Amino acid sequence: MADVIVLANADERDLRQLAEYRAVGGYTQLERVRSLEPAAIIDELNTANLRGRGGAFFPSGRKMQFIPPKEQIPKPHYVCVNADESEPGTFKDREIMNRVPHRLIEGSLIAAHAIDSQHVFIYIRGEYLDAFETLRTALDDARGAGLFNGVTVVLHRGAGAYICGEESGLLESLEGKRGQARSRPPFPAASGLYASPTLINNVETIATIPKILELGGAEYAKIGAPPDSTGTRLFCLSGNVVKGGNYELPMGITIREVIYDLGGGIPDGRALKAVIPGGSSMPILTADQIDVPLEHDALRALDTFLGAAAVIVVDDRACMVQLGLRVAQFYMHESCGKCTPCREGTRWMVQLLEAIEAGDATHSQLDLLLDVCDRILGKCLCPLGDAAAMPVASYVVKFRDEFRAHVDQGGCPFGGESSLEGLFAPVDQHTHHPVAEVPA
Amino acid sequence: MSAPELVTVTIDERSVQVPKGTGIVETAAAAGIEIPVFCYEPRLGAAVGACRMCLVEVEGMPPKPQAGCTLFAQDGMVVKTARTSEMARVAQNATLEFILVNHPLDCPVCDKGGECPLQDLTFRYGPGNTRMTFDKRTFEKPIPISPAISIDRERCILCYRCTRFSESVSEDNQLVAVNRGAQTMIATFEDEPYTGAFTGNVTELCPVGALLPTQPRFEIRPWEFQAVPSVCGLCPVGCNIDVDQREGKIKRILSRNHPEVDEGWLCDKGRFGFSHLYAEDRITDPLRRVRSRGLEEISWEDALDDAERLLREANGRIAVALSGSETTEDAYALAKLVRKGLGAHTAMLPEEIGGGLDAFRAPLSAIRDAELIVVLGEDPVVERAPIVDLWLRKARRAGAEIVEIGPAGDVQIAPGTTARACRKLKSGELGDRLRASERAILIWSGGGAGGGSHLAALATDLGFADKPGCGAFFLPETANGRGVAEAWAAASDDEGPEPEPLGLLIVSGDEAAANPNVRALAEQAERVLAITMFHSLAVGWADLVLPGTSYLEREGTYVNVEGRIQRLRRTAIPPAPDELAWIAQLASRFEVELSPSPSLVFAELSERVFGGVTYEDLGEEARLPDRVPLEAAPAESADEPVPAKAPGGTLQLLRYRPLFSGAAVERVPELQFQRPAPEIELSVKDAKRLGVRRGEPVSVRSNGTSVQLRAAINKRLKAGVARIADDHARDLHPTVEVSK
Ligand SMILES: Cc1cc2nc3c(=O)[nH]c(=O)nc-3n(C[C@H](O)[C@H](O)[C@H](O)COP(=O)(O)O)c2cc1C
Ligand code: SF4
Ligand code: SF4
Ligand code: SF4
Ligand code: FES
Repeated sequence: MADVIVLANADERDLRQLAEYRAVGGYTQLERVRSLEPAAIIDELNTANLRGRGGAFFPSGRKMQFIPPKEQIPKPHYVCVNADESEPGTFKDREIMNRVPHRLIEGSLIAAHAIDSQHVFIYIRGEYLDAFETLRTALDDARGAGLFNGVTVVLHRGAGAYICGEESGLLESLEGKRGQARSRPPFPAASGLYASPTLINNVETIATIPKILELGGAEYAKIGAPPDSTGTRLFCLSGNVVKGGNYELPMGITIREVIYDLGGGIPDGRALKAVIPGGSSMPILTADQIDVPLEHDALRALDTFLGAAAVIVVDDRACMVQLGLRVAQFYMHESCGKCTPCREGTRWMVQLLEAIEAGDATHSQLDLLLDVCDRILGKCLCPLGDAAAMPVASYVVKFRDEFRAHVDQGGCPFGGESSLEGLFAPVDQHTHHPVAEVPA
Repeated sequence: MSAPELVTVTIDERSVQVPKGTGIVETAAAAGIEIPVFCYEPRLGAAVGACRMCLVEVEGMPPKPQAGCTLFAQDGMVVKTARTSEMARVAQNATLEFILVNHPLDCPVCDKGGECPLQDLTFRYGPGNTRMTFDKRTFEKPIPISPAISIDRERCILCYRCTRFSESVSEDNQLVAVNRGAQTMIATFEDEPYTGAFTGNVTELCPVGALLPTQPRFEIRPWEFQAVPSVCGLCPVGCNIDVDQREGKIKRILSRNHPEVDEGWLCDKGRFGFSHLYAEDRITDPLRRVRSRGLEEISWEDALDDAERLLREANGRIAVALSGSETTEDAYALAKLVRKGLGAHTAMLPEEIGGGLDAFRAPLSAIRDAELIVVLGEDPVVERAPIVDLWLRKARRAGAEIVEIGPAGDVQIAPGTTARACRKLKSGELGDRLRASERAILIWSGGGAGGGSHLAALATDLGFADKPGCGAFFLPETANGRGVAEAWAAASDDEGPEPEPLGLLIVSGDEAAANPNVRALAEQAERVLAITMFHSLAVGWADLVLPGTSYLEREGTYVNVEGRIQRLRRTAIPPAPDELAWIAQLASRFEVELSPSPSLVFAELSERVFGGVTYEDLGEEARLPDRVPLEAAPAESADEPVPAKAPGGTLQLLRYRPLFSGAAVERVPELQFQRPAPEIELSVKDAKRLGVRRGEPVSVRSNGTSVQLRAAINKRLKAGVARIADDHARDLHPTVEVSK
């Protein structure tokens, strides 16, 4: 399939093997571009209009251009690969690392060349032991084959904090500090890891680079929904859908196609209630909005985002108050505690949602909940606060009647019959001990 | 340096000009507009943007509130605060609402009440009521984080000022945040007590009643306090302080930021030490030795008669031992009395500093701006002049290179060879770099008498006299050693022979009274007159004891490490008349003219040694006197004899006087935990040779004395040297044997 980019050839071959990866042209782009000026690589990425796959959709070539030249800041430059993938509903980076680890490594080394860096750090979610081991083996193989060319690559395991996926929290954690967001500016490009120029990109972003260089930026830019949403995404399809999993598809495919044509629809013939298009932090869409193409501009028009492309299907058994509570509990649990609105606001949101679910709330507290969300939104130090406020506010607005029913009936209208099965893990399952098994 | 570029910023429709890069909080202040803050505190390093109190609207930036504390003035910037922007008003109100949802609001019993930024800002920007109807977060409270400080985690608003202080000012890294999100709390690692020279500063940084000093718990009613501006007298830094007193009793000491001296920090000795004033063994009445009954209290009339008799009977065979804690005026008065009135010219000065340093005078803050700093000497800077340690840390963070030359330095030298090392700096690579630098600093921290003169000779050679960014600091051992020496010299130009035999020894002050050399001299003296604050220092050897007063109870001046003359105020009512009052009375009995008023004594003294500055000139924020150019090359003191190398198998003892020691500290319960552990520091090499590991008990012996101590390994210590705090080294001789 022409439109499989990141996972290309992974179905036919075991690309974890260095020889297999090389057999499909692996590392030839690295070898080719090493003789090129960095600017040529960046131009290609700009032509491709590659945007960040970690959630913020920032143009990747531009980000590289922000890295000041060594003459200007004579410090080491760093590449950090963000493999902390912790947003509920996402599991694409894990698949990339498990199946095409060399493509990620090749992309990292190309990125290093593009910003004149000798140091790559891969910050991997602590629970991803399988991916960690696959990646470690692949790194050993690539290093053994002399592909690093003097670049050091450090694979660093996180210790179980969502905030360490946020770029500045990641840097703090890498430096051995408490995982908390940093105030910006300065941005990592100017002062990131150890106060040095640092490029941070998501696993998928980086793993896309070798193929872009192979195809050429212009060719890549034809895929998907140009001009803004070029290329493919690994859509993480989960929730109440028959065939969940990762699907690499060009951007612009509709939610309906993803759920019904590829995902096999809703199990047991139940009705679709809502869809979250980009991961737990994104505002929700109702069942009548699923003809929207999964690409940036169309989703923006519906006041939501593609985020990390995690499509979560919600069927009619779900109580939206319970779902809101589950989301709010996650963000309360993961708030780093640095800034006031997120730290205090998420706790208050949880208390309000608990009261609503228990039937103890008043109608005015529904408005209060919205106001609390509004008072978090846009006022925090990092986007985690928004990530809690945006989805919950969207549930209240779009399913207001269901929230009102909780108040009017003095309890949950589902009367214990609702189910959140398959819709994010409840927060106690996020309480993990990733360091239990530390490989030597 | 060229003048900084000015930019124009509009704040709430008011236009203001500030240097480019000025913080927006300061820019607004310059326009007379408040941007409220909690976490912002420029002394703690870059803004962190944590509390979100300072949210403002900025034209041309993303349409959401921006943290004002993280922004800098750019030309043409248009900023709207809560006064003119609904967005900012709502945002600030939201921040306060969020802070208050889990705040206990126990203001009525909170020691911060009345001076609490949270109370004040809530009043100005916050909601008038609460929409929070659920359980508030609770924590066990209050919990001591040390014997001196307790924490109330419910009141904490997590501004991270305290942890940032610990991380990036004192650099002790002991205060940390633990847990996450709404359960975040401030703690010390493993709940160990928060120790170090500077812990108390967090009680002043904390914008709420979360970190409070335990000393005045439930006694702080700020509106009932009277703050008296004065200067700390416990070390030569001379930090500027506000002394809060109620009904004549001191309740606490706060910093009073002198940007060139202390930058608003105090050490714990200076902050918490005041309660020694109220120690049980404080002497309040004169005491006379009665052979059979020890000391008996007598009236002041009798005491002055006794003193007069002692002075007359000694027939000029008098020596005065000074402490260096006297005010310059007291020392001058005493000197004038004995020198002019009795022709006695012998003094044991607290220390020999050596002259010439005034030609290289610089504010302590010059350390921060330096690029190259050489610290010579044997004593850790923090033990002698704690705030200098903070300036050094700040310089290092700013990129300065600091070279320590000493038995535990980057360049390791044997004890007793500091003067030689100092001379060596005139040549060599480091010397060349010092000579080439426009921003270099020399510091002498212990290691033989007369260091000031060695330092002055070096600074002269390096051309520091013509470089305003270069300076030389000798860290005296005593708070006013410089002033006392000047005062003694100013009182008379005459000289006299050493009294033989010694008729009367006048022991002035607690430090002199505790000094073994003074005690030894007292044994030879026929009579002893002691001026001390505490019984235990006076009993057994003095014939007449006159109650001493503290630096917190006297008017007068101190000369600090920089040569800055600073005013002490009477901040508490002493239990006895102060020294100057009775010295003046005594002086009149010997036809010596002496005013009991410190300002008049200062005027007389100033004519002679301070170039005639007046008491009023000193002001509350004393400025540094101009440099005094050297007329001739400074006379260098003779080197101390270099101690003989310790014979094989033995170690050379390096003693130091810890910051947390002395008569005041011993009497402050909250400081006991800070006193040095019974440890001996060994070099890595010696520890290996002796087969001792960290924490192991060892016995340290010399000439029949033996002490049991715990071993500590100091990686920077020179082999062959063992370092022990005075408290624990006690009677050990300069050469010790260490064994398991
Ligand atoms: C709370 C929070 C969590 C995040 N977690 C991740 C993550 O797990 N992985 C990731 O790649 N980006 C994550 N991001 C986005 C990163 O901050 C950053 O934008 C991204 O790594 C940049 O890479 P990209 O430009 O390739 O997308 C997170 C952002 C926030 C605010
Ligand atoms: S928004 Fe939340 S996660 Fe981000 S800095 Fe603030 S408290 Fe931390
Ligand atoms: S204890 Fe005080 S200074 Fe420390 S974080 Fe809390 S409020 Fe801030
Ligand atoms: S550093 Fe010195 S002057 Fe400052 S508070 Fe401490 S003892 Fe007092
Ligand atoms: S004062 Fe600006 S965020 Fe705290």
